[in-house]
Amino acid sequence: MRARRGGRLGAAVLTVMAVLTVWGAAACSVIPVGGRSPADGNVRKGNPLGDPYARVIAVPPNPGWSAEEVVTGFRAAMASVDDPGREVARQYLTDDFAGRWDPRSGVTVYKQGEPLAVQTGEKESRVTLRGTITAIIDQDGRYRPSGGPLNEPFTLVKEAKGWRISAAPQGLLLSEADAERAYLKVDLYFLDAEWRSLVVDQVRVPIDPASNFAKTTVERLLKGPSSSLDGAVRSAFDGTELIDVTTDSNRVVVNLTRRVAPDLVGAMSAQLAATLAELTKGGWGFEVRVGGEPYYTDNPLAIDAQEQATFDRWMTPGDIAPYYMADGALWLLGKEKTGRPVPGRAGERGARTSPAISADGQVAALAGGGRGVVVAPLADGGQWRQWVAGDSLTPPCWDRYRTLWTVNRVGDHISKVLRLQDGQRYEVSAPELETTSVRALKVARDGVHVAVVVKDSLGEQVKIGTVVGQGTATRITNLQLVVPSEGKQTIKDIAWKDGKSLYVLTGKSELLEASISAEPTSLASDSRIQSITALDGSLIAGAEEDDGGKQLLYWNSAKWEPLVKNEKGLSNFSRNGPSSPTYPLG
Amino acid sequence: MPTPKKRRRTPLQVVRGVRRRARRAAVGARRVWRRSLQLRVVTSTMVISIVVVVVLGVFLMQSIITTTLGARGHAAKSEAQADRKAVLGYLNHQDGDAAKQATEPGQAAQRGGDSPLGQAVAALAGRAGSRYSVIIRNESKPGEFYGSTNIDPASIPPRLHDEVLRKPADEEVTHYAPLRYKGRHDPVPGMVIGTRLDVSGTMLDDGYEIYHLVPLEEEERTLIAVRSMLILVGAALVLLLAAISSLVTRQVVTPVRLARQAAERLAAGHLDERLKVRGEDDLARLAGSFNEMAANLALKIHQLEELSHVQRQFVSDVSHELRTPLTTVRMAADLLYDAREDFDPMVARSAELMQNQLNRFEAMLADLLEISRYDAGAAELDVEPVDVRDVVLRAVADSEALAERHSTRFDLRLPSEPCMAEMDSRRVERILRNLLFNAIEHGEGRDVVVSVGADRDAVAVAVRDHGVGLKPGEENMVFDRFWRADPSRARTIGGTGLGLAISREDAMLHGGWLQAWGAYGEGSQFRLSLPRTAGAPLRGSPLPLVPPEVEMRRTWRGHMTPMLSPVVVDGGRDAG
Repeated sequence: MRARRGGRLGAAVLTVMAVLTVWGAAACSVIPVGGRSPADGNVRKGNPLGDPYARVIAVPPNPGWSAEEVVTGFRAAMASVDDPGREVARQYLTDDFAGRWDPRSGVTVYKQGEPLAVQTGEKESRVTLRGTITAIIDQDGRYRPSGGPLNEPFTLVKEAKGWRISAAPQGLLLSEADAERAYLKVDLYFLDAEWRSLVVDQVRVPIDPASNFAKTTVERLLKGPSSSLDGAVRSAFDGTELIDVTTDSNRVVVNLTRRVAPDLVGAMSAQLAATLAELTKGGWGFEVRVGGEPYYTDNPLAIDAQEQATFDRWMTPGDIAPYYMADGALWLLGKEKTGRPVPGRAGERGARTSPAISADGQVAALAGGGRGVVVAPLADGGQWRQWVAGDSLTPPCWDRYRTLWTVNRVGDHISKVLRLQDGQRYEVSAPELETTSVRALKVARDGVHVAVVVKDSLGEQVKIGTVVGQGTATRITNLQLVVPSEGKQTIKDIAWKDGKSLYVLTGKSELLEASISAEPTSLASDSRIQSITALDGSLIAGAEEDDGGKQLLYWNSAKWEPLVKNEKGLSNFSRNGPSSPTYPLG
Repeated sequence: MPTPKKRRRTPLQVVRGVRRRARRAAVGARRVWRRSLQLRVVTSTMVISIVVVVVLGVFLMQSIITTTLGARGHAAKSEAQADRKAVLGYLNHQDGDAAKQATEPGQAAQRGGDSPLGQAVAALAGRAGSRYSVIIRNESKPGEFYGSTNIDPASIPPRLHDEVLRKPADEEVTHYAPLRYKGRHDPVPGMVIGTRLDVSGTMLDDGYEIYHLVPLEEEERTLIAVRSMLILVGAALVLLLAAISSLVTRQVVTPVRLARQAAERLAAGHLDERLKVRGEDDLARLAGSFNEMAANLALKIHQLEELSHVQRQFVSDVSHELRTPLTTVRMAADLLYDAREDFDPMVARSAELMQNQLNRFEAMLADLLEISRYDAGAAELDVEPVDVRDVVLRAVADSEALAERHSTRFDLRLPSEPCMAEMDSRRVERILRNLLFNAIEHGEGRDVVVSVGADRDAVAVAVRDHGVGLKPGEENMVFDRFWRADPSRARTIGGTGLGLAISREDAMLHGGWLQAWGAYGEGSQFRLSLPRTAGAPLRGSPLPLVPPEVEMRRTWRGHMTPMLSPVVVDGGRDAG
C-alpha cells in the first residue's frame, strides 16, 4: 500500500518535472520576440560624478636604471596623483634632498622642447630638462598661463641603490599632458556682495583617485574662492564640511555636516547647481542632505537644475535684442531683423558714440569726442543729461548695480577710474592703473570681473581684474594679464561673453577669446570688423567696408553673416548702415 | 516513597529529573514515529525530495554561474582584444612620429608633450567607462605605468603577473581576483585578464603588459539573487511535496485509522461496531470484510455465551436438584451411622465411609452452588472495616484442629499495630482458611508461616509452607477448578478442588490479588493482597511474593531476575 502511494507521488513529481523541462527546453520563449523591453525608456547619460580618466601610477626607482631613466621615472612619479605627499617620488631623491623637497610649493607646467641633456659621470651626473614654461598652478589652484624658457638641471649621485637625485627644482614639474591628467579644471561659482550674481572662479583641483570628481569639486567649493576673488565674493557655505557626494535615483546627493543660514539656502542651491553643471551636463537634479538626513526635517531639499538657471538672470540671459548706432541714432533690433530707433532723445540723430545700455533701460554714450559721458532713459521724452566731464574719457560701461564706469585719462600716464551711481561720483582705487593709460574698461555682467585695455611702451594689452567693494570703497585688484602686448599691437574693442571669457578684437582685426585660466585662442576673424559685442552665446560685430559701407555681422559658429535688414528686406552694407552694436551691460 | 514537599532538590536529582524527562520525550517521539504511518511517509518524502532538490539546485546553480561568468569573460576578452589593437595603434603612431622626428632634429621629442601610452589609456578608460578598468605598464621603461580612473594596481595578483611575463606575447591569462579601488574600502570580486602586447612587426619594446580588470559585482548580485530564489523555490517545493504526500497519505490512513478504532472497540466488547462502506475501492472492500468478520464473530460469541449460560444453569440446577435427594440420603445415612455400633464391623465401616463421602458430597455441592453464584454474577460483598490480624487469627484458630492432626505448627508474623481495611470478613476468612488448609495439606508437617503486611494503600497476608512446592507453570493452574498437583494422590483432608478457585473469585471481587509462588523442593507461598479502601485500585503489595530468604539465596547465587519472571502471575504489576 505504501509502495503504491509512493508510486503515485513519484508519478506526480515526474509529471511536474517533465512539464518544467519541456517548458525550460523551449528556449525560444526565454527572450520575448515582441513587445517593449523593460529596459526601455531614457537612461540618463553619463556619470554625474565624473568621467573615466587615465592616471599615472608611480613606481619606485629600479637599481639598474641609468641617470636619465631615473629622471624620467621621477617626472612620472611627480605626475602621479595617487598620494598627495608624493612619497614614491621622494624615493628617487637622496635622503638629504628628500627632506628639503616640498612638492606642495607650487606646480610648474612646461612643454618639453628637446630631449633630456645628459652629462654622465662616474659619481655624479647632470640631466637637464629644457623647454618652455606654459603655466603656473599656485597653491589655491589658480592656473596662470605664463611664459619663459625652462632650463632645469637635475643633479644625480650614485648611491648603493642606484642613481638618486640630489638637486632638483622645488615644487612639482609637470608636462602639459601630465598637468591635464593630474588636475581637474573646475569652475567654482560664488556670490557677489549682494548675493545676487554668480561669479565664476576658474581653478585646477588635484584629482584624487580615492574620491570622485563631484566630491573633489564640492570640497574645493567649500574651501572658498581662490586669491583672485579674495574679498570680492562670498560663499553661502560657511563652516560646513562635505561628507560625500553620491547619486540616488537621478539626483546628485550632496551630504553636508551642517545646514547653512536659512536665508542662504537659495544662494547655496545656486552655487551647487552652477558649480556641478559641467559635470552633470544639466541632466541631473540635486539634493542636499545634512549628515545623511533630509535637509529639512520633514522634506528633502531638492534642487532642480533648470530652476536654478533663473537665480542669476545674466547667467542665461535668453533672447535679448542688441542695440546699434545707425545714422547717428540708437536703434534697437527687433524681430524680423529689422531695426527701429529707440524712444526718447537717444533715438534721434546726434553726435554721440560708443553707447552702453544699462539693465534698467538707460543709455550712456560718449559725447564731445570723449570729453563727456551723457545718459538718457530709453523712454519717450528721455533727455540726455551729462553725468561726467573729463579730459579724455573711455567709452562708458554699465554694471549690474546700475552704476556707470568710465576712465578719465588726465595725461598719457594718469588714468582715474570713475564709478557713478545715482549722480554720485566715486573715484575707484586702482593703483595698478593710475599710472598707465587705460584705453577701455568693461565690467563683466557678474559685477565682479573687470577687463581693462592698457597701453604700455610695447603696445596695448588686456588685463582682467576684480572689483571689490561699493561706493567710495571700490577697488580694482588682482589685475592679471590675459593678452600680452607685443609688436605695437592695438586693441580695438573688448566684450565680455560671460563671467569667464572675454572677446578681444585687435587692431589687426584678429578676434581672440581670452580668459584668466587659459592662453588666448584665436577665432575666425574678418578684416572688416571694427567693434564687437557679445551676450552669452551670441557674438555680434560692427563691420565697415573700405568704401564706408556699414553692417552688423553675427557669428553663426561657422562664419560671419550680415544681420540687419533694411526696409527693403536686404541686408546690404550701406553708408549710414548699422554700426557699434551693443548688448545691455555689454 | 513519599518525600516532604519543602525539601530542596539536589543537583543530582535535577539532572536525573531532566534525564528522565528527556527519556520520556524520546520514548514519546519514538512511539509517535512507530505508530503514525502518515508521519513516516511524509518524513521519507521530505528527506528524498530535499536530497533531489539539493542535487538539482547545486547542479543548476553551477551551470548558471558558469554561463554567466563565461558570457562576461567572453565579452571582456573580445574587448581586451580590441583594446590591444587600439594600444598598438597609438604606440605605432608614436613610433612613426619618432622616426619622422629623428629625421627632423629640431622637432619636439614628444608629440604634444604627452606619451602615446597615456593617450592610449585615456582612450581606453573612456571606452571602458565603469564596465572595467585598464592597467598598462612596461617594467623596462620608467614612467610607462598607467591605470584608468581609480583602480589600484595592487589588484593584479602577483601570480598572474609572473604568468603574463612567462607566457608568449598575445596569450591571455585570466584569473579571478578581488579588485581594489582607491576610495573604496572593500574589494570587489572580479576577473583580471592579462596579456603581453604582441609587437612583432613593429620596432616597439615587447615589455608592454595590458591588464583588463573586470568587476563582477553585477554578476555577483545577480547570482546571489538567483541563488536565494533557488533556495526559496526549493524550500517551497519540498514543503509542497510534504503537504501533497501528507494529503495523499491522509486519504489512505484515515480509513485505516477508522478500521483500527473499530477493531479496538470490537475487541473491547462492542460487538455491534461496524465500518461505513463508501465506494468500491480497496479500502471499501476492507471495510466490508471487516464488517462481515465482526458480524460472524458476534454471532459465534453470542452462541458461545448461550451455551455457557445453559451449562452454568445446568450445573446450578443439578446442584439444586441434587440437594433434595441428598437430604433424604443424608438422613438415612445419619441413621445408619448412628446405629453403626450395632452392625458388624464390615457394615459399620461402610456406614462410616458413606458418612464421610456424604460430607464431602455436601461440601462439594455447597462449593458448586457458591461458584455458580459467581458465574451468574450474583455474588455480593458485605464490606466493613476490619483488622486483618483478627481475621487471620480467626482463620488460624479454625485450622488448629487440622494442623494438630498433621502435627503442623503455625508461625505467625503479625505487625504490632492494627491493619484496618474495608473488606467482607466472612469471605476473606474463607480465603485464608482455604490457604491454610492447603498449606497444611501440602506442608508435610513442617511449619506454616503466616505473615501480615500493610502499607498506606494495601494490606497483604502471605501463607508459606515448606512442602514439595510447585513445578514451574503450576502457579496459575493451582487456581483452576478441580485441578490437582498429582492426580494419583488422594485428597486427605477432603478438599473439593474448588477452594482455591472460589478464593480467587473472592479476592477479585474485592479488587485484590491472589497469587501463588512455588519452587520445587522449596515449598510454596500464597499471597493475598487487598486494597485498604473498597473499590480502590491496587498498585502493589506490601509483602513480597517470593519469600525473602529464597530471594536472598538467589541473589547470592548471582542470578536473580530470570527466575523471578515466571513466578509473577498478574502481568508483572507486582514489580513496583
